[in-house]
Amino acid sequence: MSDGSTPPGRRSTVQYEWQAYYLDGQTAIRHPATVRLMREGLEVQTSGGWTRFWPYTELRQTQGFYEGEEVRLERGSDLSEALLIPEVGFLASLRDIAPQLGRRFHDPAIRRHRVRLTILAAVAVVGIAGALYLWGIPALASLVAPRVPVVWEERLGRSAMDYLAPRELICEDPRRQKALDAILARLAATSRSPYTFRLFVVNRPDVNALAAPGGYLVVFRGLLERTRSPEELAGVLAHEMQHVMQRHTTQAVIQHTSTGLLLAALTGDMTGPLAYGLQSARVLGQLQYSRRAESRADEEGLRMLEAARVDPAGMIRFFDTLVKEDRQPANLLRYLSTHPNPIDRIEHLKALASKAPRTPVPLLPDVDWDDVKKICAALGPARPSR
Amino acid sequence: MEDLGPGSGVSLFRKPPSPPPGSVPPSWTPPGSPPDPRIIDRLRRLSFHGSGSALLGIHIVNVLLTLLTLGVYYCWAKTRVRRYLFSETRFEGDRFAYHGTGKELLLGFFRAFLVFLVPIIVLSIVRDQLDVDPVIKTGAAFFISVLFLIFIPVAMVGSRRYRLTRTSWRGIRFSFRGHARDFIVIFMKGYFLTGLTFGLYYPFYLTRRQGFMVSKSYFGNHHFDFDGNGWELFRGFVLSLLLTLPTLGICWIWYLARKRRFFWDHTGYGAARFRSTVTGGALLALYLVNALLLICTIGIAWPWVRVRNIHFAFRYLSLEGPLDLESIQQQAQFASATGEGLAGFLDTGFDLG
Repeated sequence: MSDGSTPPGRRSTVQYEWQAYYLDGQTAIRHPATVRLMREGLEVQTSGGWTRFWPYTELRQTQGFYEGEEVRLERGSDLSEALLIPEVGFLASLRDIAPQLGRRFHDPAIRRHRVRLTILAAVAVVGIAGALYLWGIPALASLVAPRVPVVWEERLGRSAMDYLAPRELICEDPRRQKALDAILARLAATSRSPYTFRLFVVNRPDVNALAAPGGYLVVFRGLLERTRSPEELAGVLAHEMQHVMQRHTTQAVIQHTSTGLLLAALTGDMTGPLAYGLQSARVLGQLQYSRRAESRADEEGLRMLEAARVDPAGMIRFFDTLVKEDRQPANLLRYLSTHPNPIDRIEHLKALASKAPRTPVPLLPDVDWDDVKKICAALGPARPSR
Repeated sequence: MEDLGPGSGVSLFRKPPSPPPGSVPPSWTPPGSPPDPRIIDRLRRLSFHGSGSALLGIHIVNVLLTLLTLGVYYCWAKTRVRRYLFSETRFEGDRFAYHGTGKELLLGFFRAFLVFLVPIIVLSIVRDQLDVDPVIKTGAAFFISVLFLIFIPVAMVGSRRYRLTRTSWRGIRFSFRGHARDFIVIFMKGYFLTGLTFGLYYPFYLTRRQGFMVSKSYFGNHHFDFDGNGWELFRGFVLSLLLTLPTLGICWIWYLARKRRFFWDHTGYGAARFRSTVTGGALLALYLVNALLLICTIGIAWPWVRVRNIHFAFRYLSLEGPLDLESIQQQAQFASATGEGLAGFLDTGFDLG
């Protein structure tokens, strides 16, 4: 316990008496008061004439931590009495007079360090947020995605389909759909995957295809009409099916949602960024997979084709066509733009395919492919997406 | 009158100019000698003395701790910001005080989660299951909507109760004494009538809601009162509806200003009345500059924008007429963030926002 003398190195004059206001916690009247600093507590004397002793151990400071704020000391439980001391020098004197007990209260001396500490905190925030965004979230997503139950994925995929393939845009033609489903079935039969694959052709002009979690595949009319054989479409489907089976889609959704949560932490607002996270089903169409995920889907897709004894040349030829078309201006080749490095990709696929030993069995030998491609004819011209 | 809290003032990076017109020196003795010296009759304003830079500092530390605690600190972060904003708000020379804690917010969040969100999640799983009887599915979907319709008003009342009971001025607590069940009725009625009248009932619902929220709010032992009539808001609402297309929706900013004036001008405390002079043009200018600041600084100016909004709100708001401070007695109705039982929960103060 201190003896109340001035510690060396601090200022020499200690002010014992301070002007204050007293709030009794019962009325809205502010009583002028005088506060005397003692070793164990404060002596409060109001202009009304009464005097009380408030031990430091019963007091808590609730205001006066920032420049220009008066010091507020409260005593008692919920409906507390309070003392307001306008001058912040009060706190320094309190520490001089009661160095031990004074630690319960804010030390104005630390305000000098505040700017430096805040800058340090800002640097740490940038570092942590950057690390989370670049490594933490991708790592988390690849850790969690394989453990998500397939039923959850199917629910997620179904809700995404409402947006990606609105009912009025789905090309429905049972006979032609049967041909497409046959391709799907032949590919799916190559592995014992827990997914039930469903293929939807959507009446949009874009040259694009995408996969939603749980086995939902979407092929846009623009892409279907660019294919010249069932084998070409099979290549695209195998690639997208691999995105589902490797859980790249689920991973991307988790990544997107986590980014939303990170944004919530950065802005201090749960409501906005949470909505950003929840709409991830909608942005599934624009989600980007990592380059690694893409080449993995290529490789595994090619293996899938071989296992199904589908000629992989179709896949390569179709990508080739797209690259050539892509050189023409003003087309809608979104499929390539979301899949990086088309030329390297084709070279890589060619190298892999050359090792293929088994003779392929043609897909849909008795079907007129040009007729199957007319699956959307009943819906009229393709509707551009906004 | 969502915020009974925070200040006045003007522009970014600059300290607010010394007292705005009409504000009073922090003296508690009445000037002159009115009939009853205890009842002071003059124009009073709220003023705000905080700075954007201090708020940014608080925010940075908050973000760091929120990241380090995987989000748990979020509740404490919210509390720190509120405490700062309330502490920097003055009325009649005295600062407001915020008494809420992060723990209370967290517990309130958990309770809301258990009572409402868990049933909603369970029901939506039932609804989306493929091999369930369609009747059960329809039932589940129905109960989800009902739960939402109950949850929203309960949350609105709960957060108002929580915030008010945790706010004080001169040691006297605010409180909210309305029952959630009464507001559920107002909310449901508003929801269905708004739908049936293609939106035309909405201004009447807003007025009823405001009336409920204001007249059940207390400072000490006196309540606030509200005497607005929905027809007054209705005219502006219909006008804005008609002008939406020709003005590309900008007319709604004038409606917003009108709504604020309408709400405040019909709010009183005892013999004193609030008065708002906010205009659509001023509001538009505020929004434009705010948007510009946020865009140019990729959002870092957010604390200054917040301070600007508070200054703006206080600049156009005053309290006029006699205010009898001596007759005000402490009479807090405690709301806890950890009430008991479901029935108790409906009237529990909790805050999700």
